[in-house]
Amino acid sequence: MSGTMAVTSAPNAGGSSLDPVTFEVLKNAFATSVDLMSEQILRTCYSFVIYSRDFSSALCDAQGNTVMQGSGDIAVHVGTLHFQCKAVLEEFGTDINPGDVFAINDPYRGGTHFNDVSFIRPIFSGGEVIAFAQNKGHWADIGGNVPGSFDVNAKEHFGEGLRITPVRIWSRGVFLHDVAQLLVSNTRAPKQAMGDLHAQSEATAVCEREILRLVDRYSKATVQNAMQETQDYVERTVRRRLESLPHGVWETTDYMDNDPGKEEGLVPIKIKLTLDGTGIHYDLAGSAPVVSTFLNSGYGTTFSAIYAGTKTFFPDVPLNSGFYAAVQADIGPEGTVVNAGWPYAVTGFCSGPYEKLMNGIFEIWSKIMPERAMACAFNLEYLLVGGKDARSDESPYFMWYDWMAGGWGGRASKDGSGATAPVFGAGLAVQPVEGQERLSPVLTSMHQIGMDSGGPGRFRGGVGIEKGGMLTDAKNSVMSYCCDRARSITWGIEGGLPSIPHGVWLNKGTEGERFLGSNFSSVPIQSGDSFVRPSAGGGGYGDPLERTYQEVLDDVIDGYVSIGRAAKDYGVIVNEIDADLDDFVVDEAASAALRRDIASKRLGWLAEDAEQVSAKYVSGEIDMLDVIRRHGVILDWGTGELYAETTREHRTLMERRSSSHWAVPTA
Amino acid sequence: MSKVRVAVDVGGTFTDVCIFDEESHLIRVTKVPSTPHDPLVAVMNGVARAKIDLADVTLFSHGTTVATNALITRNFPPAAMVTTRGFRDVIEIRDGTKDDLWDAYKDVSGPYIRRRDRFEVSERVDYAGNTVTPLDEEDARRVARLLRKRNVNTVAVCFMNSYANPQHEIRMREILEEELPNATVSTSAEILPEIFEHDRFNTTVANAVLAPLVSGYVHRLSDQLKAGGYTGDLLVLHSGGGSMTPRMVERYPVRLAASGIAAGAIAAKHIAQQCGFENAVGLDMGGTSTDIALVAGGELRITKEWQVEYGHPIIFPSIDVLTIGAGGGSLAYVDIAGSLRNGPQSAGADPGPACYDTNGDQPTNTDANVVLNRLGTSLAGGAKMLNKSLATEAIQRVIGDPLNMELAEAAHAVLQVANANMADAVRLVSIRRGHDPRDFALVAFGGAGALHGAEVARELNIPTVIIPPNPGVASALGCLLVDIRHDLSSMFTSVASEADTEALEGLYVSLEMEAMARLRQERVAEENAVLQRLISMRYLGQWRSLSVSIGSGANSLAEAIETFHEQHEREFAFSQKDQPVEIYQLHLTAIGKTPKPSFKPAVELNADPGAPRETRPVYFGELGWLDTPVYERESVPAGAMFSGPAIIDQFDSTTVVPPNTTAVIDEWMNILIHLKEA
Repeated sequence: MSGTMAVTSAPNAGGSSLDPVTFEVLKNAFATSVDLMSEQILRTCYSFVIYSRDFSSALCDAQGNTVMQGSGDIAVHVGTLHFQCKAVLEEFGTDINPGDVFAINDPYRGGTHFNDVSFIRPIFSGGEVIAFAQNKGHWADIGGNVPGSFDVNAKEHFGEGLRITPVRIWSRGVFLHDVAQLLVSNTRAPKQAMGDLHAQSEATAVCEREILRLVDRYSKATVQNAMQETQDYVERTVRRRLESLPHGVWETTDYMDNDPGKEEGLVPIKIKLTLDGTGIHYDLAGSAPVVSTFLNSGYGTTFSAIYAGTKTFFPDVPLNSGFYAAVQADIGPEGTVVNAGWPYAVTGFCSGPYEKLMNGIFEIWSKIMPERAMACAFNLEYLLVGGKDARSDESPYFMWYDWMAGGWGGRASKDGSGATAPVFGAGLAVQPVEGQERLSPVLTSMHQIGMDSGGPGRFRGGVGIEKGGMLTDAKNSVMSYCCDRARSITWGIEGGLPSIPHGVWLNKGTEGERFLGSNFSSVPIQSGDSFVRPSAGGGGYGDPLERTYQEVLDDVIDGYVSIGRAAKDYGVIVNEIDADLDDFVVDEAASAALRRDIASKRLGWLAEDAEQVSAKYVSGEIDMLDVIRRHGVILDWGTGELYAETTREHRTLMERRSSSHWAVPTA
Repeated sequence: MSKVRVAVDVGGTFTDVCIFDEESHLIRVTKVPSTPHDPLVAVMNGVARAKIDLADVTLFSHGTTVATNALITRNFPPAAMVTTRGFRDVIEIRDGTKDDLWDAYKDVSGPYIRRRDRFEVSERVDYAGNTVTPLDEEDARRVARLLRKRNVNTVAVCFMNSYANPQHEIRMREILEEELPNATVSTSAEILPEIFEHDRFNTTVANAVLAPLVSGYVHRLSDQLKAGGYTGDLLVLHSGGGSMTPRMVERYPVRLAASGIAAGAIAAKHIAQQCGFENAVGLDMGGTSTDIALVAGGELRITKEWQVEYGHPIIFPSIDVLTIGAGGGSLAYVDIAGSLRNGPQSAGADPGPACYDTNGDQPTNTDANVVLNRLGTSLAGGAKMLNKSLATEAIQRVIGDPLNMELAEAAHAVLQVANANMADAVRLVSIRRGHDPRDFALVAFGGAGALHGAEVARELNIPTVIIPPNPGVASALGCLLVDIRHDLSSMFTSVASEADTEALEGLYVSLEMEAMARLRQERVAEENAVLQRLISMRYLGQWRSLSVSIGSGANSLAEAIETFHEQHEREFAFSQKDQPVEIYQLHLTAIGKTPKPSFKPAVELNADPGAPRETRPVYFGELGWLDTPVYERESVPAGAMFSGPAIIDQFDSTTVVPPNTTAVIDEWMNILIHLKEA
């Protein structure tokens, strides 16, 4: 796909032809029909990823436009289901029959990534298609080089996994076993995949039954009419809301860590938003060319990020093509990280451009709706360990596929939400450790909140998590990681500070300690190896020197903030009286003096020679959080090697988002 | 004095007392204001108001919101959690999900025990129950002494994989009991011996924080009843639709967490069965919300996935009740894009519906009912007067004018949307289970259920609506109808075809022994004890399981597998008989039967409802304003027949019998409304 893409819905006839009651009743009934589909898939699925709520459901109209999306759906699928439905329509045209079900997972036709397989069932009335029911779910594996089908090193999609262009799975009610078999045989868990294939198609039948009931009750014409009006209604809602918002142009840039095919340096994703009274217009011009990893985005997921990011500031508006009609975006020509195009690898979009677009959009809307402002949230991350489970004689294949909660950004009136699912999907549940330990030879050593992980601010970023594990009894095992933000660290706004970098450590605290970074593929690991990684906290909001003593004290008592960082980040001296009784006090006089001292020096710290900062880190004189929060310097966190260009870019950002908001110290 | 059975149901506003006279077989009810600072005061006030001599009481049962309120307000005594090193944040991390997926300013509420009160000890057991790290006794004792120093009086002990091997938890409990002899200790493997740490830990933590409060409450009540002359056991209703005596409440207080909601569902089931319906939907519509429960095949739906607040699961089986924000006080409005909406925001008691003439000027469902003359202007025998002109003004201004509708048309539209929303909610609970609403009866109660029941039923094609004699106090009736009940479970993961049936039988037998021990402690006679085995299964590779009955004979597992396939087919419209089935958990339900009231049917039936109190014009949609007789429920006899439209008024409720329906008062004094085929 190239150039401007404005999603269109059929023209509004202008004014409603349905009476208000029939419209409201049918609009709500559409929502129920979609939620029933989600309810069923949750109860019958095989993939643990679907079970953890990485799925979505939609009712689309006869043209493929989305009429209603599930109320509990994962954010990342928002705004992609109509593309998939339209792809089926384009492919099969009039050759769509009652009892057919189609499958598609093609990211080059507006899909997300290969793991997300959609099942689409046409709904017929009076011999013609009136709608489509769709369920999209993340299969645990879809083949390719790496267990879980997340190959960080992939540059093109060949070998990443099975690409399913629109294909018929049921024909006039007859199951096409040969076709289904071809699909599932290309995965590492064919039986489970076959189970999900059935469970997902059956779920779409639930929606079909409900829509046909409505046709029976209200007539085909009324239901079709209501499907269009439901879209017009959402579009009208957004446009009316816009009337009370200022007009103007806002811009920001967020970054991915680096492009391994190039020199070190951040990878920009540029966002420009224009509100002119006619709609919401985004322009991504100036975003980087495709990177030589799989952290690129196809057009479907770029639109998804734009819709989902915007929707966060219109939380109560239902999701359908009416919303997409009110939001236009120019995502530029193919060949960029935000519009990669075939055959560039895009499976890792979720940790790459997706998160940057979402958070950049948060930053922009924070200026437009300051009462709903929010700093940057932690980055979606997946750790995959796969190999042979040697705990039993058969040594079956195992896949320990793990993602974490983390911190969201500090807000205009309160701290960020801690230990929360990623913005990629606020309903994506983390898995119970006890379940993982049954299924895989990985013993989890800790799953806990990371002290000092929240970005300091007047309102602190939400806390992140630390999770560690040991491979107990396995053979032929490899580890891969899909994340970002080891260098483009989760940032604060309005004077708030960054949180902490993402990245995996192997055998930390031993002689063989290695920092593996935030993106790697197929690193061999042995029984007895341990690994640990944090998820970042959210960025801070506002100047941390303005946080109240009591809030800092409470954070120390609860262990969210250490006594050491209370002083360094917040300028608050906390003294212990009796830790057994949580008895701590703030030395207010000393704290006031310390805050004055920090205020007078901190601009200088941010300008300190980066090589010297690197040297102090290597010598142990300062620690990682000093390097990041005080000096704005970015290093290889394992070796201490300076990333000079990255640091230059990062310091510019810190000036814009943090230091320029600090009050000038009075002498 | 004749012997009586007494049920007391404590709600947010009122405490209802329901008295069943064992001689006359009649029920009478009393309402007193609730006393939130100490609910016990209202219970005893109710007993006094109803002039009950506790010495005449043969059975005293009680539904309480004490536990629910404590969980919501986080009003707990000093509590602590002791857990495996590295896992003290399990109840704070939860599964990480947000309830409101899109509103970045709406957060999930915090854990029941704050981080500062959660402590770690060195120990670790693996998935198979093998010790990886032995319990460090010195560390354990250090923590126990610390808790003593902090004056903690209730502790949750939650160790990883303790469901597979509880030894470390048991030892930790001993150490805690040595150091803190007066504290209550809840261990996770005892409270809920099931896999998944967050579910088990949180259930245990909820148990721990409730223990002092809830057992204190039931013991005080027990003592007061005893002092008044009651010699039986106090039966406290729990969320699973059964009851427990104070002795068991002490161990499992968390089971009371939804005591209040369960009572209404139980009443709905009883009322439906009384009228000959094995399948029913309970619609308990109050001022701000509606509780919907499903009875299928004579059984209430039970769920293990519920919570008082989002993110804090309580995994004991609980009656599956869906609560939606639709009630008499739900606000009607036209949104920014011109659509007519209804709820979930509510005018509540303050500012209240416009017609209450308190502070509200926004229209509610109650206002729409008043405008259409469905509801009279005098409620509760004249205790509450409604201002119709304020209702008219609000409906016209907020709904009629913007949508360019006549007043009556606008008010009618408000009710249609409200009814459709309730019907959607019923569809969610029924259709997703594979049920067809046409096979059901709708039991409508609560303050507003009888006003809306017939129209909601029509939306759903439900042919029959039942309005019980006292719709406003049906929940208290539910309390009279429960048995003692315990739900036990054990993990048992195996492909069904390879299952060790001896081990399976052995586990059931040990669950049965534990169950009988509990029933004996509750003084249940052997002949009143009923044990039922259930087994949770799934297709190998699936994540959720379905629970089905299993017998104890040689063929029982094979039969249960057959039932599983059938159940899967019914609930999800597909089954896979060629796929291997996996056993996941074993369950045992232990019932201690209690004597049930036998209600006395009316002997004489009289089809003549007598003279209406008045006739007033009532608006019924396309049929417009129709002259409608208004009857006093107290004065219509059993057997009375009505042809809609008619209105039947009573102290705590108003029943609308719409056109194209007929109604009859049955021998139990229920109103049955029959909808004609459209």
